[in-house]
Formats: sequence, structure tokens, C-alpha cells
Amino acid sequence: MAFDVHKMRNIGISAHIDSGKTTLSERILFYCRKIHAIHEIKGKDGSGAAMDSMELERERGITIQSGATNVQWKNHSINLIDTPGHVDFTIEVERSLRVLDGAILVLCSVAGVQSQSITVDRQLKRYHVPRLAFVNKCDRMGANPLKVKAQLAEKLGLNPAFITIPIGLEDKFEGVIDLIDMRAIYFDGPNGEDLRYAEIPMHLLDDAERYREELLEAASMFSDELAEAYLDGNPTKELLIKAIRKGTIQEKLVPVFVGSAYRNKGVQPLLDGVINFLPDPSERQNKALDLSNAEAEVELQANDQEKTVALAFKLEEGQYGQLTYVRIYQGMIRKGDELYNTRARKRFRVGRLVRMHSSSMEDIQEGNCGDIVALFGIECASGDTFCHPDLNYTMTSMYVPEPVISLAITPKDNKSSDQMSKALNRFTKEDPTFRTYVDPESNQTIIQGMGELHLEVYIERMKREYKCEVTPGMPQVAYRETITQRADFNYTHKKQTGGSGQYGRIAGYIEPFKEGSYEFVDLIKGGAIPNEFIPSCDKGFRAAMEKGALIGFPVTGVRCVINDGQSHPVDSSDIAFQFAAIGAFREAYDKAKPAILEPIMKVVVETPNEFQGNVFASLNQRRGIIMANTENSIFSRIEAEVPLSEMFGYSTVLRSLTQGKAEFSMEFEKYARVPAALSEQLRKDYLEKHKKGHK
Amino acid sequence: MLKEEFIQKSPVRIFEKSIEGGLHAGNIGILASKKGIGKTSVLVQIALDKLMQGEKVIHVSFNAHTSYIISWYENIFNEIARRKNLENIEEIKEQMIRNRMIMNFMQENISVDQIIRTIKAIMSDGSFNAKTLIIDGFEFTRATVERFEKVKAFLSETQLEGWYTCTLADTEPVLDSKGIPIVLRDIEPYISVIVLLEPKKDYIHLRVVKNHESLERGDMPLMLDPRTLLIAEA
Repeated sequence: MAFDVHKMRNIGISAHIDSGKTTLSERILFYCRKIHAIHEIKGKDGSGAAMDSMELERERGITIQSGATNVQWKNHSINLIDTPGHVDFTIEVERSLRVLDGAILVLCSVAGVQSQSITVDRQLKRYHVPRLAFVNKCDRMGANPLKVKAQLAEKLGLNPAFITIPIGLEDKFEGVIDLIDMRAIYFDGPNGEDLRYAEIPMHLLDDAERYREELLEAASMFSDELAEAYLDGNPTKELLIKAIRKGTIQEKLVPVFVGSAYRNKGVQPLLDGVINFLPDPSERQNKALDLSNAEAEVELQANDQEKTVALAFKLEEGQYGQLTYVRIYQGMIRKGDELYNTRARKRFRVGRLVRMHSSSMEDIQEGNCGDIVALFGIECASGDTFCHPDLNYTMTSMYVPEPVISLAITPKDNKSSDQMSKALNRFTKEDPTFRTYVDPESNQTIIQGMGELHLEVYIERMKREYKCEVTPGMPQVAYRETITQRADFNYTHKKQTGGSGQYGRIAGYIEPFKEGSYEFVDLIKGGAIPNEFIPSCDKGFRAAMEKGALIGFPVTGVRCVINDGQSHPVDSSDIAFQFAAIGAFREAYDKAKPAILEPIMKVVVETPNEFQGNVFASLNQRRGIIMANTENSIFSRIEAEVPLSEMFGYSTVLRSLTQGKAEFSMEFEKYARVPAALSEQLRKDYLEKHKKGHK
Repeated sequence: MLKEEFIQKSPVRIFEKSIEGGLHAGNIGILASKKGIGKTSVLVQIALDKLMQGEKVIHVSFNAHTSYIISWYENIFNEIARRKNLENIEEIKEQMIRNRMIMNFMQENISVDQIIRTIKAIMSDGSFNAKTLIIDGFEFTRATVERFEKVKAFLSETQLEGWYTCTLADTEPVLDSKGIPIVLRDIEPYISVIVLLEPKKDYIHLRVVKNHESLERGDMPLMLDPRTLLIAEA
């Protein structure tokens, strides 16, 4: 098949857990003839859905890794990027969103727009990903696609328009009406693969007419041609599709499809929608930064003839070695090409090049512009940019939040210990929000991440994939220390022990620095400290800031300024000035009124109104500040800022407070000062621990 | 400029002076004008003034997303802070966010009882002891005596002062012979203060048409800049 960028789609399926995303993915794969039998996700036959490549996900019924799968539909090539639904895996979601050109937002027709749908939608908005909505589970009790459509407008501020509407609902859900061709579609055959077109049932004719009018009106906003044809009474299918497509790509219109993936209904029209309404790679603007030109923005051309620019967005350690998924933004990647990794500043040659299908892979000779392919055996990190050796571009750096929670893990036996470092090595490469280090004091391995569940999943994965059992400690919040006022220092480091001594004096001040975590300013005139030792001072300050004197957490938000000093012709050295800076920092730190900072999470709770008071109280007890409350006659959505340290175990509490009818999501918001009483307590705990350690 | 001086020099002081020192706890006040004149902006400025003084404010809205309301506050605060060269902006902002609660009722048909229940819940369960209630976007064509009787009783009970915005119809006449908006005729007895915003040639004029029990009504020595929507001394 000749390559045509206009016949390519890179799409993701974004959704709330349990809205049926995995089932939908699998139906899509099936109808595109890639897999030959449909498994239910929590499969009776134990084989599970094809998109979930990891056992753990199968067991939990959720999808963690974003596998990229290529399928063909009506002469179009679709790369399906499966995005995880839980907010604890935000980096995974965001990394996939970066490479998407369009998305299907899956919603449950019973539960509607939930708090996590809102988070996911916000992410789509951030990356300007055009989307279709699929209202799934129309066969369930209480299905109400109309309500869901209204919520898309109310809660997400979108402009939704039905493309298909249901024929019957709940157990009477039979098929859909296609409002573009104005006909009924039934899904026959054992797996709904045989489409039968029919007249619209009489009793639904009025509804169909009404929603078609709505669709025409909404679409007319994006095409004068269509508006004219509509007024004249003969809008053509082509004009209508063109207008909807335009509105969708501008993110001003969201086509809504209905169906039930589980009952094999409504999926094929959705696939037609992907082709008709979502953009191809050439219709999206992508930018890179030119490292050779002061990071000036360059617009990339989705064209095979240009020089290659590609982004590595996902790594996977498979049985054959490291697999790197890349999205090609400009030019092509051919087997044997030389490419340049701009972060590592290394050239490498493209070896094996593959296209991933659900559970098999296909060797290919080249990848075209806009496509998603995988490279074998490339040493790189997720987020690296690969360019033609003539270029020095980097794709806009992906936003990587700092981890907010940490946990000590201890391997249960020797064998686990070996496996643990292997596992951690791989996880940290795959997921930039997952970090690990060995605490020099306790000699324990610490893992850090974005939430309790985030860390739990990795502990589970160690057990399953690496047969490595670990005992987790208590989760620990990542506190920070900072200073609140300016303080001067004038410190002399002097040491006379036999041989050559150490001498260095530095003077200056430290002050709060709001714009970042650290800044070093050298105001020394006349060489009071020789130039060669200035970097030593910088290094010393950095070292001092690694561990604050209050509770031993990293110090942040400090500007260190040096303006005077003294050196000794013989005894001054790099190390002497490093020690001087460390001493100077400690001297000034106390005077600078240090304070402890803690991570504050943005928490969103959705609850039936009857439990609203309970939720208010539970947030209030957790030192939360309730920012806003949005309610309709049934549900309230409560937004609050709550310290992470107070959120441990909140899901259990919330469940019991609301009979399991409420749910919540949280993500990192900012660091803020801890109240005085708590600060005292933390300090006391730290000193006690410290004392014990020294006994 | 320091916060204390800023509060002292705020045009809201003049606003309060024109209405017997303020709306006072338990009372209902209304800012009325045609669409798009700047009612919300004036209310937000009243709310910001309370917040700066460390008082808690509940902002109830019927027609806007919370993010939209938050940006109203952000923009107006940033603008006045910039003009007056206010110091410690970050700290003041932080405090204001703590003291502000936004409540959004998404459907027109939510009963007054539900709204009262929610506000009571946040004040008791949420320990949010607000002094001021801002109600933006209420449709006064739906105002009934029964409803405002309840609101008035609720405000008295909780010692809140409640400011509403009221959008007047585009078609004349909108005012009765005393200058009271016709749409408020039935519920007028429950309302303590009514201020009209009237567009003049190049500014917007504020006129008091009901001023507690006082007969002293008339023009406020204030005006609203139609471009920035900030109130200032006339």
C-alpha cells in the first residue's frame, strides 16, 4: 500500500477506569481484523484483552502501560495508543498524549462524566488533542446518553453533538441511528461484525430529525458552504463531514457516538468517525526547539522529504532487549539510518525497525513521517529526541512533576536483592516520575513517585515480572525546607593537621529565591577569592542544600550570594572552599528563619449531595482548604487543596463515609509551608531519630 | 502600598459610606443593571475588599464555571494591586484563596432549600465561618416572596450579608416611579439596599435607590470605568 500521510491517524483512547476502555480497544482491534477472537477483559478463558500486555493489568482490570498498536480500517492506518485511566499514572497519560493527534474519550452512559474523566479531559485540553466522545455501556441499567451529552457541555465545557443516537436503551439496546446518512445500523453476526442498514424505526424518526438538525446547526458554524446548503435545504454528506471535521480539529466541536463495546454495538461507526473527523499528522502543528540556535522554536514539517525529527516516548524492556517507541514528526526513519540523540549527544545507527501489533511485531524497512514505530536496542531515555545528524532539535521538554511520596523497600531475600536493582533500573528509565536512591544513613533503598497507588503498582510489578519480593515501609511525604528571610554569613574554614592545611573564607548572604530552587550569584570584585575557587563555593552550597538542618530534607528556593572572601596561597584548595561554603550556609541558615514545606494535593471529590456535609468535614479534618463546590440536583463536585500527608488511606475513609458512592482524584498542586505545630512535631521526630542513629 | 493603607483607601469605603456604613449582617443587597454593564465586577471588588480584611466570603454562581469565577478574582485583584503598587501580593493572594469559597449550582431548578443546605454544610461541617455571601447570576424573574423570606431568615440566622446581582430586562420600562426595578417589586420588603448601575456617556454611574430605612438616596460619588470595570471616586 502506497504511503499517504492523510490516511494515517494516531489516536488514543482516554477514559475513566471501568468505562470499558479496554473492551472498546479490543473490539477495535477485532473489527480491524487483527485478532481473531474477542476475549473479555477479565477473561473467562484467562487470556485477557490483547492490549493489556502486562499480567498485573489483567488482574486489576486496568491498563497501565501505553502500548502502541497499528491497525487498518477502510484503507487508513491507525496507531492506537492505549492510555492509562488512573491519575496516579499521570506521567504515562501525558507522555502518550504528547504523541497523539486525536483521542476517543470514553464515557460510561450510566456514570457519565466522573472526576477522572474531568482530569483526563483537562490533559487532552492541555495538549490540544481533538476528540470524539464514545458513550459506552448503553446496554446497562440506567443508561442515559442524553444526560452524558449534557454533562460533556456542563462539566467539561465542550460543544458536543450526536453523530449516532441509540435505538432503545438498557436491555432493549438494539443498534444505532447514523445521523449523517440518516439510517439505522444493526450489528449482526456473533461478534457484531456484519452491519445491516435499515430504515430508521418510525417511533425514532422525530428524535433522529431533531438531533440531525442540532448537528447541522452546530456544524454550520464551521463552514459557510454548509450553512448555505443547509438554508437551501440540501446539505450534502461531504459538506457536513468536512464541517464537523473542521470544528473537531479546532477543538470547538465534539462528535458524540453511542454504543456498547461489550455488546458489539456502535464501534464501527466510531471507527468511521476516527477517519472522518480526527486529524492526520499533517494537520497538526508540532514544534521543536533548536539547540544550536538558543532554543528557538522551529515548526516541524510533516513531510517525508524533510530531515528526520522523532521523539522517543516510551521504552519497554522485552524479551529481545530494549524496545523504544518513537513518533516520527518530520522526515523518515530507515533501517541503517544514522540518527543523533540530542540529549545524550550521541549518534547511533538504526538497527531493527518494527511496527507493533497487539501482541506480535512486524519488521519494516522504513517508517514514514507521522507514523509510530519501534526501534530495537537503542540506548536512550524516554523523552529523548532523535534527529538527522545535521539537526540539533529537541522536542519541547515534557513536563515532569517532582515525586511527592517515598517509600523504603527492603528485599526479602538475597535473590530478590539482585532482581530488585534490575527492576528499579528499568522502571526509572521507563517512567521519569518514578525515582529511586539509597539513603546513605539507613542504607535502605527508597522509591519515590506520584502517589500511593503509583508505588504500589511498581512493587507489584517487581513481584510479578522479576520475582522479587520486597517489604515496603511506611510511605513518607517528600518535605522540603526553605528560608524566609535574608541572612548574612562570613565564615572561615581553617584546618591545620600535619601536612598541608585547608584555608578559605567566604562572605555574603542567602535570601529567599521564588523563581526556582537555587541560584548562585558571584559579586566578588578584585579577586578576594581566586576565580578557580568560585565553582567550589557553588558546589559547597549545593551540597549544603541537599539536607536541611531542620528535618534533613532538601532545601529549596535559596539564592546564595558571595561578595567577599579570602584565600591562602598554599592552604586554599577546591575542597577548602567547598567546606567554607557548607559552613557558611549552615551559619546563615538558622538566621534566615528556615521553614518546612509540604506537598499540597489538588483533590477533587464527587459525591451524591446527601453526603456533601460528610465530605466537607472529612476534608476539613485533613487540613484541607475547600476551594469550590459545584452541584446539580444529584451530585456535588468538591475541589480542595489538602496536604499529601493527610491523604493516606483517604479512599477507605471516603468509601465508608459515603457508602462507596463517592470517588476522588488527586494530583500534585504545589509546595506550601506546614503549620507551626506540625513543624515542631516534625522537628522533634527528626531530632529523636537522629539521636538514635548516633547512639 | 501596604495592605492596611490599601484597604483604607479603597473606593469600597465610599460605597459603604453611601449606604449607611455597609449592608450589615443579615441583610440582602442588590446591584442591578442591564446585561454586560459590570455588576459582577463590582461584586467581586466588594468581595475582594472583605477578603483582604481577612473575612471569609462565599461566592455563589448559577451560570459560570468555577475557573471562570476564579479568573474574575485573579484579574481584578492583579489589576488593582498593580495600580496601587500593593506589597506582599503573594501572601495576600494566598490568604484570599483560603478565605474564598466558590459554589456553583449547575441547574436552574435547584431549590433554595438545597442551596441553603449546602451553605450551612460548608459553614458547619467545613468550619467555614463566612461573613459575606455573593450571589451572581440569579434569575430574578423567578424570585418569589416565599424564596426571599427563606433567604432573609437564613441570612439573619447565620449573620451573613448577602449581595445579589440582578440583570434587568432590555425592554422598557424596567423601573417604577420610585426608581425600583419592577422585577423586584414583590420582594422589595426583604431587601435592604438596591444600587443601580447606569451607563452614561463615557462612564458608568452608581445610584442608590433603596438605602436601608433611610430616605437619603441618590448618586454615589463613585463611577465605574467601562473599560477596566473598576470602581473609582467620581
